Amino acid sequence: MENAIQVSGLRKTFGQQVAIEDVSFNVKKGEIFGLLGPSGSGKTTTIKILTGELKQTTGDVHVLDTDASSFDSTQFKSKIGILSDNSSLYERLTVYDNLKLFCKLYDAPLERIDVILEEVNLKNDRNKVVSKLSKGMKQRILLAKALVHQPELVFLDEPTSALDPGNVIHIHRGLQKLNEAGTTIFLTTHDMEEATKLCDRVAFLDNGKIQELGNPDELRFKYSTHDFHIETTMNEKLVLENDSKNADQIRDLIAAGKVKSIQSDKPTLGDVFLQLTGKELV
Amino acid sequence: MNTQRIGAIFEKDLKEFRKNMMLLMMPVIPIFLAIMYSRMGEGELPVFLLYLIVGATYSAVTTSGMMTMMAEENEKKTLRGLIQSPASLADILIGKSLVVGLFTFISLVISLAILGNDEFLAFQPIVGLILLFLFFLLLGIGIGLFTKSVANTSAYIMPVMFLFGFTPMIEFLNLGEDSIAIKIADYFPIMQMIDMHETNSWTAIGIVAIWVIAAAIFTFICLKKVSTDN
Repeated sequence: MENAIQVSGLRKTFGQQVAIEDVSFNVKKGEIFGLLGPSGSGKTTTIKILTGELKQTTGDVHVLDTDASSFDSTQFKSKIGILSDNSSLYERLTVYDNLKLFCKLYDAPLERIDVILEEVNLKNDRNKVVSKLSKGMKQRILLAKALVHQPELVFLDEPTSALDPGNVIHIHRGLQKLNEAGTTIFLTTHDMEEATKLCDRVAFLDNGKIQELGNPDELRFKYSTHDFHIETTMNEKLVLENDSKNADQIRDLIAAGKVKSIQSDKPTLGDVFLQLTGKELV
Repeated sequence: MNTQRIGAIFEKDLKEFRKNMMLLMMPVIPIFLAIMYSRMGEGELPVFLLYLIVGATYSAVTTSGMMTMMAEENEKKTLRGLIQSPASLADILIGKSLVVGLFTFISLVISLAILGNDEFLAFQPIVGLILLFLFFLLLGIGIGLFTKSVANTSAYIMPVMFLFGFTPMIEFLNLGEDSIAIKIADYFPIMQMIDMHETNSWTAIGIVAIWVIAAAIFTFICLKKVSTDN
């Protein structure tokens, strides 16, 4: 499969401070790729480099077959959509006027406005002034703004932060639909459930370095102890190694009807990150 | 450059301008000054007073308007969204300049009509007024890009107004003909326009053109700074 993003030996420094150190990864076309890491790990710097907002100190960066030196070209900008911590809206204008501006800037048909407002669950709010809307609604308009021109590749920096659970589900469905239609999605998130649910592959970034990269389920399996966690009918909690010597004990518990629940160890992505770095993903 | 994108930014900024009371009040200042001056007495107004109105219009409407619009885009982080879009910096600046230009034109025409002066309806003064507009516009773009918040613009607009908009007022400071301040001020754009008006000198227009080039260099440096935050 062709790569949408190719990053090799990426390094970024701000004066003496190293923000990103020898980062290499590829994102395949049509993939949902998650970059996970705590605040200050270098996620936003990476997105800024991939979108041309920052220039790398060293390393090769190619996005949609475009070299980083050409990221300011109109052709490149037309093919990507960005929702970052820098994204903002014109507060005095209506939702429709904000999206109309970006439709015209991206040469997209105005009919797209109603389609995208439907997808972010804001169709009934199209004529409302942005300043009157809640933070969550503004976040959804920003997402609509990033997607209104049907980009080939979307960069989403914490796309569901500030959203209530109902709207998170709605947005997740929208992103999955978008991805099924062929759009590549590069996202950063703190929400491990979101990453597990949406991402085909994730990379853990800490101190500017990639600590691990892979499919969420495979990573969870790789870092599992494979122990059995058993809860008995007496509310006793047992942890038994996945070893043949424990087979009789497990069989006896089941035979005696004493097992309330039994499951093998499957860490969350947050647990995996904790194992790798000793840090919580917050 | 792309006319559709310029048009989109013009349409957006026109709507924003109409909903921003601070910006809407700016074109009223020169009109108000013109009404006051027109009631000062019989006969023609001195040339320096006419240029005081021109300076007030350009500093209060052109520079201040542009500066406020750019500073607001910076403050609200919306400029980044425009820069990330396929619109070029030229598209963005031309779209905004057209809005500021429209309001400057309306304010200037009404002000001069109130004063009943038609001396500006000649080739040389019109060329001078266009150059002067470009000077104040570029100054507004440059300072606007450099300024991080709308609140900060007031700290910059005052020096611009007094130095470049109200330069003829230096006469009222009674500094004396030989004062170095007067000699320097004589080379300022508005003073050169007054000189052009009185002597029909193209040299004065040339000096104003040099001011435009200097403002363009200043704006270019500010643009380079804002286009990436490396």
